[in-house]
Amino acid sequence: MSTMELLASGFSVVFNPSMFFMVVVAIILGTIFGALPGVSATMAVALGLTFTYTMEPIPAIVFLVAIYCSSITGGSITAILFKIPGVPSSAPTTFDGYPMAQRGEAGKALGVALFCSAVGGLFSAFAMFLLSQPLTQAALQFGPADLFAVTFMGLSILTCLDGENVLTCVISGLLGLLLACVGQDKMYAVQRLTFGNRQLLAGVEMIPVLIGLFAVTEVLKQTNKKDFLNAEDGIGGGRVNTKMPTLKEMWSIKWTMLRCSVVGTIVGILPGAGATIASFLCYTMEAKVSKNGPKFGSGVIDGVAASETANNAATGGAMVPLLSLGIPGGNAAAVMMSALVLKGVQLGPLLLVNQPTYLSATFASMIVSNIIMVIVAIGIAKVFAQILSVPYAYLGPIILMLAIIGSYANQLSIADVQIMVIAGILGVVVKACHLNSAALVLGLVLGSMCEQNFSRAYLMSRANIVDMFMRPIAGPLMIFCIVMLVTPVVMPMIKKRRAQKKD
Amino acid sequence: MFELIVNILLFIFLVFTFFTHVLEAPVPAMAANNPYALQPDVWPKAIIILLLICIAINIFKIIKKNKGKEDFTLSAFIQSVPKFFTSKMFLGMVILFVASLILDALGFMVTTILVLIAYGFLLGERKIVRLVIASVCIALVLYIVFNGMLSVNLPRGTVGFLRNFALFLESIVSGVKGIFG
Repeated sequence: MSTMELLASGFSVVFNPSMFFMVVVAIILGTIFGALPGVSATMAVALGLTFTYTMEPIPAIVFLVAIYCSSITGGSITAILFKIPGVPSSAPTTFDGYPMAQRGEAGKALGVALFCSAVGGLFSAFAMFLLSQPLTQAALQFGPADLFAVTFMGLSILTCLDGENVLTCVISGLLGLLLACVGQDKMYAVQRLTFGNRQLLAGVEMIPVLIGLFAVTEVLKQTNKKDFLNAEDGIGGGRVNTKMPTLKEMWSIKWTMLRCSVVGTIVGILPGAGATIASFLCYTMEAKVSKNGPKFGSGVIDGVAASETANNAATGGAMVPLLSLGIPGGNAAAVMMSALVLKGVQLGPLLLVNQPTYLSATFASMIVSNIIMVIVAIGIAKVFAQILSVPYAYLGPIILMLAIIGSYANQLSIADVQIMVIAGILGVVVKACHLNSAALVLGLVLGSMCEQNFSRAYLMSRANIVDMFMRPIAGPLMIFCIVMLVTPVVMPMIKKRRAQKKD
Repeated sequence: MFELIVNILLFIFLVFTFFTHVLEAPVPAMAANNPYALQPDVWPKAIIILLLICIAINIFKIIKKNKGKEDFTLSAFIQSVPKFFTSKMFLGMVILFVASLILDALGFMVTTILVLIAYGFLLGERKIVRLVIASVCIALVLYIVFNGMLSVNLPRGTVGFLRNFALFLESIVSGVKGIFG
């Protein structure tokens, strides 16, 4: 089948009237799910599964992909308007999006977020279509040492999250890594750090901790304030008119979008490293590389562009190993995989050889979703902005209840609700001690993967750490990580010495 | 001072953890007898050691930064403790904690109504009738969206009549779902 025939077959699936209607429904649902605090992209895809039980496999994957892409974008709405990331991958969007909203530029921040989400999503869709096979082959070459180096690179970001408080950032990251060790270790199933609590045997659940740290802590902080968050503070009387970036603004962030699209797609392809890592990684990278880097965190469009381009770029990347190898690139892709397995689809390299329509239909769904979701998200942002004009005495408790539902619905477990509450209270302590909650979460997210890969690489290199990193990918990556870790500590010392010499 | 105390407590807790709770079960022979295997306690112990070093430096930095400040004394901290326990934030924490404890027994609807009323009152809403009516309406909307539309099985409660009430609501929601196909 030629490329054009393949494309035609994919778009014919999506533009079938009933399927197109379902794609639009998926985009609306996905954007709302994504915007709701506590409903992660994975949960959105999981909730969307119920709609696909009566569908054929290809329409089912088209529907779920549309939910996935739009939920990642929807997360930016609450991240900008409320400083509550709707999905974890929108957490870096709060760093610049919320300060912009506080300055009365919520519409502009939303416009940049939506535009960049679409650019990132479209880029990764093309990347998925064109580079699916070669990129998957490259990822297949990765050994445990290389995967450890990649995750370690994610961790070395810690020092860049808060340049002025490197030490507290590292402490937060290490605390996250330690939390990831709780429960049975993944290699030998040995019980660790549970303090006799059976509920901790399976480890610390990530979704309740994320909801607690990002949503509950924010409400608790607001509770203590005399002046509550209100519409006038941030988004102009509770009305948001999303303003698409001007041509000049688009031009000014072109390199940010390009870099983050490329990096986001590559990160998305790596198993386990999804949209969250992509957005954190790209935000930090741009903080160093972009000409507006020093202003990151104060409310610049480059910051919003970096995280939103990257997290949407990761969506296309995550589909590459799923479709080509039958290996999910992330949690949401794993849910999609279970949907396909449920329908008796034989996943693996032969899937695209025998039925290339899976690739072209996924591609078509991503293209259509990334365009339509911009229009849908503009409408939903208006609704969510109006919610802010509700008195905080009503809005705060509603957010808390959404947080309770979000953590409970994850596994229908009351214990998860309790973990969420504890995480929310700990989040207040973390803030009071000037620790970095984003770094803590990053440590928790990457911890298990980091340890497993290190352990495997250690075993394979026969306990020789030097040999472990004598690989073309792992070696340079580790050097890069060490430079990233050391630079924030060494640079001020060098500057101080230079200043002393001048005096 | 609070920051210093938290850091010291964390340091003590980590030392205690290092010696007592890193491994809570015997290591299987396949790992223990393999000289090339990374033992299950090495990774967490390495993290704890790094944490202890970083926290020790942080304690030193906090003391150096705040030395001589009037409010950087134990007595000033002790004086501020009662203020925290009467703060809105602490009461908010209590409401949340209680909610997580009663959710299983009282079920979603009652817990939601109680949380919305209690937290709304804490945040300054003094129009009680409006608050109660709004809380009931919000609880119903959340129930319909998550239980009815998204099929999330929300807690029914273990107290007899509340469980029956939840089952009654569920039957109504599923009846309505049935009508709309």
